[in-house]
Amino acid sequence: MLTKELINRIMKESGLSKKDAEQLLATTTAIMRENLMAGKAIQLQGLGSLDVKERKARVIVHPKTGERSIAPSKNQLIFKPAVTIKEELKKI
Amino acid sequence: MADKLSWTELRRALAARANVSEKDANAFLNALNAQLVEALKEDKQVKVNGLGTFRLQAVAPRKSVNVTTGEEITIEGYNKIAFVPEAGVKELVEKVDLPEGEEATDPIQKLGAQADEIVDLLDDLGQKPNTAEPKEEPKAEEPEVEEPAVEEPETEEPVVEEPVAEEKKEEAAPAVIAEEPKAEEPKAEEKPVEEKPVEEKPVEKKEEKKKEEKPKKSHFWRDTLICFVILLVLLVVCYFFLRHQICSWIDSLDLKLDKIELFNKLTNHSAADQEADENTLIFSEEAEEAEAEEAEAEEAVEETVVEMPAVEEASKADYPILLTEEITYGSRLAWLAQKHYGNREYWPYIYDANRDKITNPSKIAVGTKIRVPKLTAAQKDLNSKEFIRLRDEAVAAIGK
Repeated sequence: MLTKELINRIMKESGLSKKDAEQLLATTTAIMRENLMAGKAIQLQGLGSLDVKERKARVIVHPKTGERSIAPSKNQLIFKPAVTIKEELKKI
Repeated sequence: MADKLSWTELRRALAARANVSEKDANAFLNALNAQLVEALKEDKQVKVNGLGTFRLQAVAPRKSVNVTTGEEITIEGYNKIAFVPEAGVKELVEKVDLPEGEEATDPIQKLGAQADEIVDLLDDLGQKPNTAEPKEEPKAEEPEVEEPAVEEPETEEPVVEEPVAEEKKEEAAPAVIAEEPKAEEPKAEEKPVEEKPVEEKPVEKKEEKKKEEKPKKSHFWRDTLICFVILLVLLVVCYFFLRHQICSWIDSLDLKLDKIELFNKLTNHSAADQEADENTLIFSEEAEEAEAEEAEAEEAVEETVVEMPAVEEASKADYPILLTEEITYGSRLAWLAQKHYGNREYWPYIYDANRDKITNPSKIAVGTKIRVPKLTAAQKDLNSKEFIRLRDEAVAAIGK
């Protein structure tokens, strides 16, 4: 499902206009990004949380040559689903 | 991350930013959440622009083992939510300075520190083999020292051992010298207050190494001494066992030498005197002297020649037969001489008495009946000219 369809659905459920819905979604994601950039996790109630976490540097082996090198550490955006939704989606 | 943007905070921020009422914002966010879940359930995938994609991933069922009972169990397949951030968001996230980042870089620093430690350890190990080598090398040389000593006379042993001992000292000495400067250098470089315990340890270790070396050295010397003593004892025992054989061997050597000299004399003489006399059985020293003085010599030769056949015939005729022996397999004339005369040296007499039956004294047919002559007192003289002549003839016959 793409964003357009998601907005249509939100319109139907919330009764907002399409324009409002689009604007609200854009601002919501913007706020989310800003908060993530500030090092804040974002709680999505009933869905889970988004968090920036560091992936630690590790030794990696080139599968063909067998060369060993160190993969540098990097930040990752990680989504951790809430327990309720996790259990609910397990069986579909 | 300690800080969390809660649902209410998000709602307020959204309301403030978009200039909408908090009620609308709340409605929107609730609708967003609900639709995200719905979309996941229906399409298993939702793309949110400016954030990323939520996806429902199927995990296949797999087999596992119950850890406590050991029973095999199948873990049933399930779905899990995976989130893939947008490319732009991913890049943004990379720039985030995480407070844990400082801690996170520690592992690498720890790795670096560990690498340094390993390098130091390797350096220490590199010193140990130097000290260990001299210990091993002398051990390896020990068998080499023993082997030649067993075969060769005693006098060579110290000659072989001395260089080994010198080598050992030379090898051990530089190793000890090489350690000391290494031990001093780190002391000079490092800060004394912090590193004192670290410095003391290697020094102690090196002292221990030196202590270990000393007992090993004494062991080596003790072992070589024991080997030396054992070899001495063995050689003495061997000497007593073999003394008789060696004596007889030396005697036989002398006899052979005598024979060779006699043969040479005979051949030289015969070559020189072919014109003068056809008889080649001339052996006396008188005949040799005669060579120098030509005229006189011829007379002397004639005299001896006249005498000799007489002696020969007489000896043949005079042999009174003691008894007859039948040659059995493995018999020898020397044994018969030993048996009947008590001295194996008299075997040429037996040969002389049986010239008609024996051509080669060392190859006598089994079953041949041999006459064993009686010996007179004069014949028993081993230095008599007659015996020497007979012996030479018998020895010459061996080659036939």
